[in-house]
Amino acid sequence: MWKTILRRFLIMIPEVIVLSILVFLLAKAMPGDPFTGSINPKADPAQIHHLMKINGLYDPWYQQYWNWVVHLFHGNLGNSYQYQEPVTRLIGGRAANTLWLALFTMILTYAFALPMGVYAGRHEGKLPDTIIRVYTYVTYCIPFFVILVIGIWIFGYVLGWFPTTGSISSDATGWLHTFGSRFYHILLPGLLGALFGTVNIVQYLRSEVIDSKHSDYVRTARSKGVPSKDIYRHHIFRNSLLPIAAFAGYSITGLLNGSIFTETVFSYPGMGLLFVNSISYRDYTVITALVLIYGILNLIGTLLSDIILSIVDPRIRIQ
Amino acid sequence: MSLIEIKDLKVHYPIRSGFWNRITDSVRAVDGVSFNIEAGETYGLVGESGSGKSTTGKSVVGLEKVTSGSIMYKGLDITKAENRRKLDYNHDVQMIFQDSLSSLNPRKRIEDIIAEPLRNFEHLSKDDEKLRVLQLLNIVGLDADALYKYPHQFSGGQRQRIGVARAVATNPKLIIADEPVSALDLSVQAQVLNFMKKIQREFGISYLFISHDLGVVRHMCNNIAIMNRGRLVEIGTRDDIYNHPLHIYTKRLLAAIPETDVNSREAHRASRLAVEQVYQDQQSKYYDDNGAAYPLVQVTPTHAVALPQTIAQQLASQEGEVQA
Amino acid sequence: MAENFEQHSDISAADLARLTQEAQAEATPSTAKIIWSEFKADKPAMAALIIIVGFILFVMIGALFINTPKMMETNIMGYFNQPFTADFWLGADSAGRSVAKQLIVGSRNSIGIAIGLTVISSTFGICWGLISGYFNGYIDWGMQRIYDFMMMLPMTMMIIVLVTIIPHYNSVTLTFIFSIFYWEGTSRLIRSRTLAESEKDYVAASKASGTSHWKIIFREIMPNISSLIIVDCTLSFAENIGVETGLSYLGFGLPSQTPSLGTMIANANDPNNITQYWWTWLPAALEIIILCLSISYVGQVLRRAADSSQRQGSVN
Repeated sequence: MWKTILRRFLIMIPEVIVLSILVFLLAKAMPGDPFTGSINPKADPAQIHHLMKINGLYDPWYQQYWNWVVHLFHGNLGNSYQYQEPVTRLIGGRAANTLWLALFTMILTYAFALPMGVYAGRHEGKLPDTIIRVYTYVTYCIPFFVILVIGIWIFGYVLGWFPTTGSISSDATGWLHTFGSRFYHILLPGLLGALFGTVNIVQYLRSEVIDSKHSDYVRTARSKGVPSKDIYRHHIFRNSLLPIAAFAGYSITGLLNGSIFTETVFSYPGMGLLFVNSISYRDYTVITALVLIYGILNLIGTLLSDIILSIVDPRIRIQ
Repeated sequence: MSLIEIKDLKVHYPIRSGFWNRITDSVRAVDGVSFNIEAGETYGLVGESGSGKSTTGKSVVGLEKVTSGSIMYKGLDITKAENRRKLDYNHDVQMIFQDSLSSLNPRKRIEDIIAEPLRNFEHLSKDDEKLRVLQLLNIVGLDADALYKYPHQFSGGQRQRIGVARAVATNPKLIIADEPVSALDLSVQAQVLNFMKKIQREFGISYLFISHDLGVVRHMCNNIAIMNRGRLVEIGTRDDIYNHPLHIYTKRLLAAIPETDVNSREAHRASRLAVEQVYQDQQSKYYDDNGAAYPLVQVTPTHAVALPQTIAQQLASQEGEVQA
Repeated sequence: MAENFEQHSDISAADLARLTQEAQAEATPSTAKIIWSEFKADKPAMAALIIIVGFILFVMIGALFINTPKMMETNIMGYFNQPFTADFWLGADSAGRSVAKQLIVGSRNSIGIAIGLTVISSTFGICWGLISGYFNGYIDWGMQRIYDFMMMLPMTMMIIVLVTIIPHYNSVTLTFIFSIFYWEGTSRLIRSRTLAESEKDYVAASKASGTSHWKIIFREIMPNISSLIIVDCTLSFAENIGVETGLSYLGFGLPSQTPSLGTMIANANDPNNITQYWWTWLPAALEIIILCLSISYVGQVLRRAADSSQRQGSVN
């Protein structure tokens, strides 16, 4: 078990290294240089030349990469020229918003998907099952950003039930009020994300329930006279719980990718919106840092899922 | 000179374990097997499932990656891929598979299935090729309207005949028949076996006949090798194996042949139990300390058994055989 | 040898031709036939198919009659023209450009990119999955590591970064950039099926018949997973419509002078537009929804046709 986890970690290391090289090279390939905008445009070319030189920008790329990695390990990701503050602090402020929204969406997703999956499996082939299947199918095939736009239009603007911008109202005071306001702001994006992200869990749970319904151990339990409510609770549901939990890791990846859209539509100040803004302002230090962070979060997400799955199913333990 | 000479053939599959996933051990599917097949004969390879007989067969066709040892054909070692290419090896050595359904591509028509080796090795014109396929269908007793059908439209016995037709298409010297009839009904088994024999007589093909069924093997084979745990335990002519078995494993296999004579049911059962008793008691005598079979020793010019020299001679004299 | 065969042949050329015809008439129905009868049996599926094909043909042909640069010129007279009028029957946007015309050209662009993306990424994914699944061992291991790495990349971000790096891009370069990141799903699906398929004896039989690896992969194995490929391509097509439109919506897809369904929906980013001038973005959003639902529905029917136990149509 521990061996599997440790080995999985070791596989991660080269992936992170390749990712960081890729990100670094992409940053190098972006037009402009890190001083664009931060110094007087009328500055003497010789002076720029001097600045480039003392900052090591004429070194070969691997040396620059090495310097960058060393800085990275000191928690120094450079300065954002758009906001004129260290990238670490800038992202630190936004990361909490993004993760908070992602976590909330995930909890809601599970809250919707678990009962739907079990119910659909239990009533396989009947009307509720058909309705749930059509529902998951419809939610699955519509592009998510279209849902967000239509959602904010109907519930945010036309009905006016939810705030349409920001993560907290400006007049919030006191911790209870602050918390309430924050919660209010993530409610609509969270609900939309959850209602339209159930498909994987529902489908998995449904087929799992149908499979175990016809398995020998459930038949045995049934023939012993165990009430069917208990069969579902104790035998079927519990068995499929861990693999379902493993989806959490993968869904982090999906939610992070989606956060770029969610945060843009809701003008929600998280990492996704920061990324979109930084691209518009060509704020390269921020862009590089964000791509790296998202990549590592993706990696941790899949790692988490793989580990949970390897606990559940020894067949898929990595060789 | 024999048609094909298999010498000390070994096929090992690595077992990886430990933190660094290094090869710590290996499954010895085939562990030092040697025998020769003569032109025009049917050579039987018998053993229980997992004894490595199918792996041996696949190695001879070139489908398995061989760990060590050699398979000599026309003076070249065909365990090397370049030698197989040089000889057009599979033009001369073909295979019949156990599962007739899985061995025929469900998306291809019978014509294309049978013509596949022809297209790769003989490059005939379109009309010649079609005629050849029709002739082959005729040989295995199928009608010409089979040409455009798909495999699932045939019964198991018919499919196996299509498999045979494909195998003989290039007029090969040797066909590996890997349990060709064990998936078929008894009545169909006899049919397929008989026309396999017919084809052999007409074209002079050799078979390596792999089976677990000693009854079928007796019907088909002149020379027989018994395989157990990746090694050969006994080699001999049909008479040697059926009438003078020396190794306990061979005796067990023979005892397991179902007997149709109802009257002597009790006697048969008693002899079966006796053999089983010997097997349980004398395992250490027949297998070495690792549970593997001993190297083969010759007891007569045709008969060899995997036992230490002294025991082999002792058993042979009990059986009344003449010492070589 | 030849004489040997002659003994067994008593068939004339005329017989041969007759048998050929007879047998062809009796042969099993092709995949295309099965699918077609499935559609004939399922009316909603037929409707969805007609909607898709008809709509794609309509925008492809319609866009030919629209002068795009002229359409994209600012027209003060049409400033936020109401919909359902004689001049602008779906209204006009802030620059007075006809929404209906933009919709047609935008659909053409978006659907075109989605088709291109599906063709490129599916072809690549299918080849990747087939090769990886067929040649087990080190080749598969290496290809799997690359796959893992690609899965880790934050796709949307990488595409946006690449788009900003490349100085001049058009719909073709854009399609290629998307394709770099959208082959993984297909490849994983195809690989797992290929692994199972390679174990079957007919592959061994082909090897023993001297058929080359490439021929086995593409002529023996691929036809056997063709139904899976058709279903997967259809479903990825539906997904791929969301890829380009989503990025264009963010402003990183097609350039602003090239209309796309995504850039039209981006009109909704302005709080005024979204409620007051709803006609600038809502038609595009509804179109995407209907298109994606129809395509996926067709995909579901194809999946059913591929699984013989669930078929509704009967084939003779």
